[in-house]
Amino acid sequence: MIPCNCVVQEGQIPDDTAAALRASISAFTERTFGAPAEFRWLTVPKRSGFTASAPSTSSVISLRAPRAVSPMEREPLLRELCGVWTEHTKCSLNELVGVISDPVAD
Amino acid sequence: MPLYICNSGKGTIDDAAKPKIASDITRIHCDVTGAPPQFVHAFFVEDSPAQPLGDKSVLLFGSIRSGRTDAQKAQIIEEMQASIHTHTGLSLEEIGMITADVPASWVLEGGEIMPEPGEEAEWLAKHGQHASAE
Repeated sequence: MIPCNCVVQEGQIPDDTAAALRASISAFTERTFGAPAEFRWLTVPKRSGFTASAPSTSSVISLRAPRAVSPMEREPLLRELCGVWTEHTKCSLNELVGVISDPVAD
Repeated sequence: MPLYICNSGKGTIDDAAKPKIASDITRIHCDVTGAPPQFVHAFFVEDSPAQPLGDKSVLLFGSIRSGRTDAQKAQIIEEMQASIHTHTGLSLEEIGMITADVPASWVLEGGEIMPEPGEEAEWLAKHGQHASAE
């Protein structure tokens, strides 16, 4: 399983959209890393999210790769991952933080 | 990025305090690191298992770009804990804080790989739309 942490603002993504989004992200991790995503989904309550001190519409998608990812590989993967997110949610790239991290060193 | 997630017990931080603490988090991070405020996210959640409180009433978890010095991180922690203390009345002992370094090259924000610390001005000049959108 590929650990995948998502942070969204309350009310920003309808439940059916979220379900389809998770399915597409899991398909992405299957294609890319050979395993489905294991989600930890964190919803920020209304009036509780701020970006640059103003009410936030930002989301975060962060997954941990099972192997080290080269810089040449990481950027296109990040673009694909963020593309999946914006396609489902219709949010802009300006409202999204995407992270693909390497495994934790022992 | 940075992303600051503030976890607390239910009702510990009221809605009036959140924008004040978020403003302080943004100001402190920018003052200490020189980063522009456009990058600073401060999110408040309650009873989140992702950031276990342990014996604390509040835990502030900051994911920040790699490259900050230990002194910068210590200053960030000291000043952000003080802000939460000021706006909640909690004692400093009840307020925990942790930071984690994330390489800029691991992060896509505003449709572009994040700049390394100190290279933000050039990045923002290239992405004026991102800056004005926030």
